[in-house]
Amino acid sequence: MEIGSWIGIGIIVALIIWIIGIFNNLVSLRNQVKNAWRQIDVQLKRRHDLIPNLVEVVKDYMSYEQETLEKVIQARNGAVNAHNPEEAIAAEGILTGALGKLFALMENYPDLKANENVSRLMEELSGTENKIAFARQFYNDSVMALNNAVESFPSNIVANIFSFKHATYFEVPEAETATPAVNLR
Amino acid sequence: MPQQTTPCPECGTLNRKGNATCRLCDALLKPAGSVDKPRIRKKILRRTDFIAASRANQTATRRLITLLLAIAAVLGYLAGWSLQVGTGHRPLSADSIFFFSSWGMLASFILLALSLLWTWFAFKRGDRIVMKITGAQLADRQHEAQLYNVVDEMAIAAGISTPSVYIIETEAMNAFATGMSPTTASLAVTRGLLNKLNREELQAVIGHEMGHVVNWDIRYATAVSVLVGLIVLLSDGFLRGSLYGGGLGRGRGGHKTDNSATAILFIVMLVFAILAPLIARLVQMAVSRQREFLADATSVRLTRNTYAMISALEKLSQETVLFDRANRATQHLFIVNPLRNFSEKASSLMATHPPITRRIQRLYNLGDKDY
Repeated sequence: MEIGSWIGIGIIVALIIWIIGIFNNLVSLRNQVKNAWRQIDVQLKRRHDLIPNLVEVVKDYMSYEQETLEKVIQARNGAVNAHNPEEAIAAEGILTGALGKLFALMENYPDLKANENVSRLMEELSGTENKIAFARQFYNDSVMALNNAVESFPSNIVANIFSFKHATYFEVPEAETATPAVNLR
Repeated sequence: MPQQTTPCPECGTLNRKGNATCRLCDALLKPAGSVDKPRIRKKILRRTDFIAASRANQTATRRLITLLLAIAAVLGYLAGWSLQVGTGHRPLSADSIFFFSSWGMLASFILLALSLLWTWFAFKRGDRIVMKITGAQLADRQHEAQLYNVVDEMAIAAGISTPSVYIIETEAMNAFATGMSPTTASLAVTRGLLNKLNREELQAVIGHEMGHVVNWDIRYATAVSVLVGLIVLLSDGFLRGSLYGGGLGRGRGGHKTDNSATAILFIVMLVFAILAPLIARLVQMAVSRQREFLADATSVRLTRNTYAMISALEKLSQETVLFDRANRATQHLFIVNPLRNFSEKASSLMATHPPITRRIQRLYNLGDKDY
């Protein structure tokens, strides 16, 4: 064979290896997005499990706040029973609001904060709230990485051939972006 | 004649005339007209955008490691070469003594292979040894719920599995991470750190350590220190050999005609053997300093909270209790250098960490962007 054809074969082999590299990168980015989404679910489940415990412990102390506790439980049940992602996002938004109000009210009860069980549960729950936030952040970071790879040259060509799609960002529910109304009476 | 200086408009540090950016805070000194130069534009980018900042850091590290590899290869080549000449073996022909040596090639290959092997061994063993040296104990999940939660949060934000968490029972404030890959990492904090920082600051410190983990810094540090160790060992061996043996080059050559050539070779070797370990150490420290900046930036990316990192660093810089179980082999792992008074002289070339004021200044620059 001539040198020219060897060079040609070499270029084609290099091209194939390069395309495989891009393809594998896209696959791992897509899997990372999926995994990040599951991670949010895991944390939400944890939150749903913790809330009944907290309500059980604080209800003796907070007998005047039955209404707030009731709302938290309702919001929690609503979130557990959500059937599709849109419903879930809305229900979780309501739950976040109700929990925030409960935490704020608990500041009024020094005995409650001194209780070891309560402080442990509070740390657990606020840790879980943070984890939910960080899981969303990681999900959005992963989505950005995937979208960058799908849109930018030259990986967009490979993405087009193997029909890799954009992922959608986790949008903050409207209930959470609205400024909370504070009533100091 | 006194040197001409210009004060920095942002932090007031005096800079040499002609510098484009401040040496303390990287602020622009020149009027806007000179901004067009690509080098200066790159500098501006680096101080405003932390994705660009971390990319610049990665490039710097790669260059420094290439430099180290080159030093090791040249040193190995010179050693093999002088051994070949010194033991009376001639390279291909008498003329080629300065151009090509088969032993030299062989020696530099052996050296590189050896450093790979040694690095691999360090990867396998390193983290357990470090934990033992520093006296860290595995933290109890029941009693240290907050610490575990904070670590979990940062692991989620970084998208890795939760590392094992250790506590060092000392009043000094410090923290470090070790472990050779994101899946097998461990990190340790001191009791003093847990007591004196609030939750957000603790999160920033853990974020910094998580930054070391996800940026593979521990691997970098191990690989670099193995390379440096080899270079130092080899130069040392050569210097000793030349002192006691009266110079390899003049040993039992017997080829009187080559005397001047071997003498020149000997001098080259001597100079290189003295300079190589020095340069290697400087490179090691530079890598370490770069990675500290990078870890700070990564912490901010994870927590989206610049000011917690800043206030944690401020508290760390005011700490007076020293951590006495750190030594020169482990100092580069910690979030602030445990051996040194970090406010003075810390900007010297041999420091493993940048001065805290400079780290804080860079964080303020990151904070300008609304993350």
